[in-house]
Amino acid sequence: MNTLTGVGSTPLSGVGTARWYRPDADLTLPDRPDPSAVDPAAEQTEFAAARDDAREAIRRARDRAAARVGADEAAVFEAHEQFLDDPGLVADIEAAIADGTPAAHAVHDRFADAIDRFEAMEGPMADRADDLRDVRDRVLSALLEGDADAAGGSVAAFPDGTVVVAERLTPSDTAELDPDAVAGIVTAAGGRTAHAAIIARSLSIPAVVGVGDELDDVPDGATVLVDGEAGRVVVDPDEERRATVGDDEPPVVSAPVSTTDGRPIEVAANVGSEAELDPARARGADGIGLFRTEFLFLDRDAPPSEDEQYAAVTAALEAFPGERVVVRTLDIGGDKPVSYLDLPTEPNPFLGTRGIRLSLSTHADPFETQLRAMLRAAAHEHGDSLAVMIPMVTRVEEVEAVLETVDAVAADLEAEGVAHAVPALGAMIETPAAAAMADALAARLDFLSIGTNDLTQYVMAADRENDAVAGYHDPLHPAVVRTIDRTTTAAADADAWVGVCGEMAGDPALTELLVGLGVDELSMSAVTVPSVKARVRDVDAAAATRLAAEAVACETRADVRAAVGLDGDD
Amino acid sequence: MERTVVVVPEAGLHARPASTLVQTANRFDADVSIGRADDDETVSAASMLSVSGLNVAHGETVRVVAEGPDAADALAAVCSLLTTELDEEAGDGGETE
Repeated sequence: MNTLTGVGSTPLSGVGTARWYRPDADLTLPDRPDPSAVDPAAEQTEFAAARDDAREAIRRARDRAAARVGADEAAVFEAHEQFLDDPGLVADIEAAIADGTPAAHAVHDRFADAIDRFEAMEGPMADRADDLRDVRDRVLSALLEGDADAAGGSVAAFPDGTVVVAERLTPSDTAELDPDAVAGIVTAAGGRTAHAAIIARSLSIPAVVGVGDELDDVPDGATVLVDGEAGRVVVDPDEERRATVGDDEPPVVSAPVSTTDGRPIEVAANVGSEAELDPARARGADGIGLFRTEFLFLDRDAPPSEDEQYAAVTAALEAFPGERVVVRTLDIGGDKPVSYLDLPTEPNPFLGTRGIRLSLSTHADPFETQLRAMLRAAAHEHGDSLAVMIPMVTRVEEVEAVLETVDAVAADLEAEGVAHAVPALGAMIETPAAAAMADALAARLDFLSIGTNDLTQYVMAADRENDAVAGYHDPLHPAVVRTIDRTTTAAADADAWVGVCGEMAGDPALTELLVGLGVDELSMSAVTVPSVKARVRDVDAAAATRLAAEAVACETRADVRAAVGLDGDD
Repeated sequence: MERTVVVVPEAGLHARPASTLVQTANRFDADVSIGRADDDETVSAASMLSVSGLNVAHGETVRVVAEGPDAADALAAVCSLLTTELDEEAGDGGETE
């Protein structure tokens, strides 16, 4: 038994068989034999068989993606199959084999030509080069190892009970993982807030990241226990240790929950891609309290079409029929590389043109497209429960501009005869300015959603990413508690509902405080939904209200922490 | 026979539209080729490498040439595809994070 230490990124445990994922590892070709030593007829047969294997592997990947994620994600595999069967490419490879090149070398060389050609082009063509590499590696794996599923880029092909071990995982690798098959993830690099870690959390896959180079010593096939709570990886765990897996997980409750005195609290999930919808449902989420739309815009060369956005939103509505789905409009700024948006370079993007400021600026066209998709989705058969929220609001004028744009988009759709409806509209409360104006915002909108991560950052003037001021970054500072209180009070006065969609919402230790402050909805990583639902059912709303009043009266962080039953300053 | 059309899909002849075009072209007993209208050269519409290698964007004008027993049907099907935005089911096949 050998224990490695990293950072727990999904607070779940799992045990399984380690399988290294090395997407960058080049399959090593044997030395080129003399052409006279090659039997072209035998090589042609091998090539044909390898293509058949690769085709089957691609189809399996396509079916998995279609079942798990949807037609959009599966489409890329159709293109892979077409590359595999490209008549020109196949003819070139067969010609090279006929000239005395072994099949593997012929595949390698001719694909290299095509990959080089695509890489030399600009725009979306560079992605095609990656697709070609995937296809090439499948054929080469079939030729060299007799297994087309073994190729890099087929992360979805791991057998049940796999612990994926990798130097790092990209967000798309992670999104492709099958949460039912993958028992855990361990990476050498990466941190808890890396995008892949967030996706793993959303998929409820136990994960430990940032283990470091020691991970290299874990061999393929080893039994590995991933303890995402403690941030530990145990190689060859003993029976006693293995028996602890899953002990700490509360049962999933699918039904809505209320406090002991009958106040309903919606416990919803934050999701950042369509792949996370089913896992959220499986964890008993009452709906989606934050559907981030950034995934539709990042890692590509052109903005997503209205239809693509419509499809993503309606997928969420269909995953949670009759339950609320809150979609956040594009929330990015100068810190994100989005080539086609021509984002400004700013010395401090978190105090710059981001969120609604960007949407209302020179980039109004993508915003209108997004609103068109939302208004169309609101007319979907489950569209009644759609809500749209605006990030980074600071001014009433911004909300008024959004309302005007919504009216204009509705009028356009009406004139075009396109089915549409206006969804519930809300603002995120992430800035002190928005909290100060919460009464005026709530009067114009249906709801407010408090983003406690950014709210804490802006109220405390402490960068989320700066460890030197980590002590400031706690929502239990009285300044933050009072800001939340001010917001919930203003929302209640205006008959708007109010939610919380930051990390704070997913911490069961803070559930009573938030209920007492008057929050109607808590939205969090799906993985924490069961424990928060369990906590809500133990809370007495009247007692929670007294607790909140006590916390609001506190003047120091230590006092707030003591009031909610936590130890002093960490 | 041949026709000249303006490419309507927002994604141009990339990703999903290219894939659908190749599928369609392969369905008919006809040799279908495609190229830019202002360029004499055309490439086989049955080749995903060649079609996506053209790097044709939304709004460009392309020439479609079809020969063989099903040439008329193939030409009609391919041109209809090039002049129709994909429905929302199909999306544009763009990579998401």
